[in-house]
Amino acid sequence: MNLKVPERLRYLKTIGIVNNGFNGRGFANPYDIVVSREGNMFVLNRCDPARRSAIRIGVCNLNEDYLYEFGYGFGDGPGQMVWPVSLAFDSLSRVLVTDEHNNRVTLFTSKGDYVSHWGECGTGQGQFDGPAGIVIDEEDVVFVADQKNHRIQKYSIDGEFIGQWGERGSSEGQFDLPWGITIDRQGKVYVADWRNDRVQVFDKNGEIKMVIGSQGDGEENLNRPSGVSVDSSGDVYVADWGNERIQVFGRNGEFKYTLRGEATLSQWAIDFFASNPDEMEQRKISNLEPELPDHLLTAYHISSQIEPFFWGPVSVHVDSEDKLYVVESNRHRVQVYEPA
Amino acid sequence: MVTSKEKSLVVMQLSGGNDYLNTVIPYGDDEYYDFRKTVHIAQDSVLPIDSTYGFNPHLGPIKRLYDEGKVAVINGIGYDNPNRSHFRSMDIWHTALPDEIGTEGWLGRVIREIDPKGENVLTGVNFGRGLPRALGVRGVPVASVGNLETYGLFTDIEDEETRNLALRAFAHMYGGVQGKDPVLDFLGQTGTDALKGADILRTAPQQYSSTIEYASNPISQSLRSVAQVLFADLGTRVFYTQHGSFDTHSGELISHAKLWDEVSSGIGDFYDDLKEHGREDEVIILVFSEFGRRIKDNGSGTDHGSGGVAFIIGSEIKGGMYGQYPSIKEADQLEGDLRFNNDFRSTYSTIIESWFGMDAIPIVNGSFEKFDFVSK
Amino acid sequence: MSDLALMAHLMRRAGFTATRDELEEYLAEGYEATVEKLLNPGEPGNMPDDLIRRYHVDQSELRQLDGAGAYWLYRMITTQNPLEEKIALFWHGLFATGYSKLNQARALLNQIDMFRTYGLGSFKTLLVELSKDPAMIIWLDNNDNHKDAINENYGRELLELFSMGIGSYTEDDIKECAKAFTGWTVKNSEYMAMRASKDSIWPYGRIAWHYEYREDDHDTSSKSFLGEEGSFDGEDVIEIIVRQEAAARFLSTRLFQFFVADVVTSEGELVIDEMVREYFESEYEISAVLRVMFNSEYFKSDTARYARVKGPVESVVGTARIAGSYAEPTIAVTDLWAQTMYMGQGLLAPPTVEGWHEGMEWIDSGALVERVNFAAKELGNPDKPGVQSLINRLTEQYAGSPSPEEMVDGCLDLVGPIEVADRTREGLIHFATSLGEVILDTDDPSSDGRKKVADTLSMIASTREYQLA
Repeated sequence: MNLKVPERLRYLKTIGIVNNGFNGRGFANPYDIVVSREGNMFVLNRCDPARRSAIRIGVCNLNEDYLYEFGYGFGDGPGQMVWPVSLAFDSLSRVLVTDEHNNRVTLFTSKGDYVSHWGECGTGQGQFDGPAGIVIDEEDVVFVADQKNHRIQKYSIDGEFIGQWGERGSSEGQFDLPWGITIDRQGKVYVADWRNDRVQVFDKNGEIKMVIGSQGDGEENLNRPSGVSVDSSGDVYVADWGNERIQVFGRNGEFKYTLRGEATLSQWAIDFFASNPDEMEQRKISNLEPELPDHLLTAYHISSQIEPFFWGPVSVHVDSEDKLYVVESNRHRVQVYEPA
Repeated sequence: MVTSKEKSLVVMQLSGGNDYLNTVIPYGDDEYYDFRKTVHIAQDSVLPIDSTYGFNPHLGPIKRLYDEGKVAVINGIGYDNPNRSHFRSMDIWHTALPDEIGTEGWLGRVIREIDPKGENVLTGVNFGRGLPRALGVRGVPVASVGNLETYGLFTDIEDEETRNLALRAFAHMYGGVQGKDPVLDFLGQTGTDALKGADILRTAPQQYSSTIEYASNPISQSLRSVAQVLFADLGTRVFYTQHGSFDTHSGELISHAKLWDEVSSGIGDFYDDLKEHGREDEVIILVFSEFGRRIKDNGSGTDHGSGGVAFIIGSEIKGGMYGQYPSIKEADQLEGDLRFNNDFRSTYSTIIESWFGMDAIPIVNGSFEKFDFVSK
Repeated sequence: MSDLALMAHLMRRAGFTATRDELEEYLAEGYEATVEKLLNPGEPGNMPDDLIRRYHVDQSELRQLDGAGAYWLYRMITTQNPLEEKIALFWHGLFATGYSKLNQARALLNQIDMFRTYGLGSFKTLLVELSKDPAMIIWLDNNDNHKDAINENYGRELLELFSMGIGSYTEDDIKECAKAFTGWTVKNSEYMAMRASKDSIWPYGRIAWHYEYREDDHDTSSKSFLGEEGSFDGEDVIEIIVRQEAAARFLSTRLFQFFVADVVTSEGELVIDEMVREYFESEYEISAVLRVMFNSEYFKSDTARYARVKGPVESVVGTARIAGSYAEPTIAVTDLWAQTMYMGQGLLAPPTVEGWHEGMEWIDSGALVERVNFAAKELGNPDKPGVQSLINRLTEQYAGSPSPEEMVDGCLDLVGPIEVADRTREGLIHFATSLGEVILDTDDPSSDGRKKVADTLSMIASTREYQLA
């Protein structure tokens, strides 16, 4: 048993740069991340419409080596994506990706070859409407946040319906456009209940165990949480999207601390400035954390102006070494924290 | 000899800022490999022009035309105070006004000069939707054709019978001058012209016959449409096409190669099509981009720079290297970029005067030294 | 004209047209009350930001122009405060600031938001806010306007294009005006301006802008401006400008041309005179001037009806509102913005600071083809909620099988009401007749009655009259 329980995380590094092209190092509106057993980062790029042909999953590592990428382009053909939301590994290291526009789950090998896809749009059993978060347990049961049906669905790895729970509402066990989903080491299921501004914790059969957070921007609060992940000690990391921050709660749901983001230049960013020294010079003499006028003091606006802060922290992921990865869709990067 | 009345210009805009250094490559200059540690073309891949310079291997068909003396390479083309913003720099190329914000496009002026009364609504045709600024001049009609096969009104009515009914109704509603309301009359005239233009354009693909098989990518298909409209003799003299994005900030080697494969095979096929129909002496092609890219790469691609290259291609072109290939030595750089050595308006002026036989000064807002790349 | 036609006219001008349901609600309130409601917008009730950003990464980040344009279109289509968006569009055309030089979509949207907040209030306050707007500052180079080296660009355009027009001031006034605005700049302006000129998005996307006043760069010397003396700063200069008759007339004329008629006749001049009077009476309140304008006999008369050519944005938004599309986040919204580009009014991308040339100049054959095709496609889909609603009304009205005349007249009434010339109506009826029998109140899913109504709506959307507001 690991006696060193991380009290707090500390910032490690930033990986990423906005990618204006079709391929190569960089991300374009990354929406989710999973880390493979080998420690490689699989980053899902949702891409803005002008670059939608570049929709893909990029693979790199903590050393900032860009390894490869894969995708079959934009569309609804096999292997293609339109509005991808989330990804997960199964026990065979295959990658499953949800697409909330195509209403399906697509399977790729970890090298990126298309395997199959399943799912159809609807409100019935085994159907979904805007599948968002996805997580797979050790038995290869696939849990999908069935967003517009406001429920959680369970499937086999090949898409056979197993079970479901939830309906629209704000009481316990009800959802409003649920987004991110994860499972902790004890098999508890955590759902980022987006428009209810809370995280709900269940067992695998949908029995409610705990509710974390309520609407607001204070310590105990969440504002449109989009993602959640849990470390080996049970600390819960919530991507508090609407407040542009990460909220960290303890295993009993008690508030611990907040992360606001403190990005530094990634290696790819440094490479960029090496060939654009004029920009680097101007940047050096600028105050990148200025005081802002009153009407710009919402978290969203503040983050749009202060580059180191999280902006669009859509998803969080904790790896097997309790390192935390925060995916920022508006900054095209991943900030990595490690146990202090 | 072709009379000036029958000469046409095909413009191909490479959007995004084409990387000059990797298009016409100074492979004989060691410093190129020093600056381009990652994003370079190996010496033995280059298609040599001479011992110093050569084409990117993905310009095969263009190299072939170059060897036949049909490609003028304008080296170091640009303008003073280079602007590295896509929109602004492209505007400058479109309006031929580097120092102010222009409102009239140079090609719009050319079209107006060719057809002052706007008698032929198809004198200028843009292959793409919306009107590029280069073609925009108030009162000058230009057709913007997204897809030649389906161009026209009510393209989203699937049922053909219903569509025909709609077109007939439209013709009736827009016909007839009422003389009461100038706005309604103007609308009527415009709608009638649009209908006529669409009807005429539709005949072009129908009449077309050729053995050339163009590739299926968008620029090849655009050039095929250009050929169709040209051969249909609709009076079109200015054709506009675009390809991109050449904005290769990362992964450049792969994307730049693909883009040039598409462009050059398209140009090669188009030229062969012209030859097959015996019309290669009527057309020249201008290929340009809004700026070049930085001398030093960023590890995966290149960023916006200045000073670029343009090509003019045609059987009536005196092929060769024009302008000067800019020095890439550190001391000669302009803040890490190439220096231009000829104003793009010189190239425009050459086309306007030597090819079209018109006065360039009012069109490009000044007098610029011409090149000698058009055969007399 | 009838009350219904008058209300439709008001909503075409003060907004982007209204559906029949909306018109009936407004009618219940009455004309004057509706004018008041328009001038005093409450909660906009548009599509919520969190929903938009949830699905549209580009509208969350606003790195590029298309996302910003699409975002504004969502607002225009789903707002319950049409005048709030329409006045923002008016100011956007007048204080034209474009993406091409800024490469900053967020700054542009922030400017539009400023127009929403201040656009119906005091003209003086609006001009001060405009002068502090970061997008405007960079657009007209006021960040390069220094105490020891003035840049006249903003000073000039403020007088020439934004408040008074040529002839009401001298070249010296321009210089003094420019001096008054020295020091009005953007935080980190050198870095921001460089990023703008290079269209830099590296490494981590765009960094937003905000206003900064650099006191040490401000010229505090005594200035002589429009005949007055003092050590004026920007606010003082604006205070003087708004007091001028020329400013009152400039503003009133531009408002008249945008809301009442493309062409100003002598009758129109009388309305403008009234607007000028109200401008001074109310101490430069834009809503007061608009009230006088909307309530004038001229505005309500037949002369003013259809006296404007719809701009492309009006056309697109109006059609989308009637068709009921884009009420929820949809991937199609990006193409919607592209439509405004194809039609010649790319939102947030005016070609120059002079804005767009309006009226008849909106129309050329390329733009007309795009307008007709877009509107025909939107309204030709019987599954769209707005179209369904129209079909349902038609079914009730003509239970069973409307004749071609009934269908055409019914559709003209419900989609507008729109008045058309005889020749137009002839063409429409002929078209409807050729469609054959139309049966509406049937449960048979294969029945094509609804499609035929939608096709008739398509034809109406393609008429000349539909291009007018």
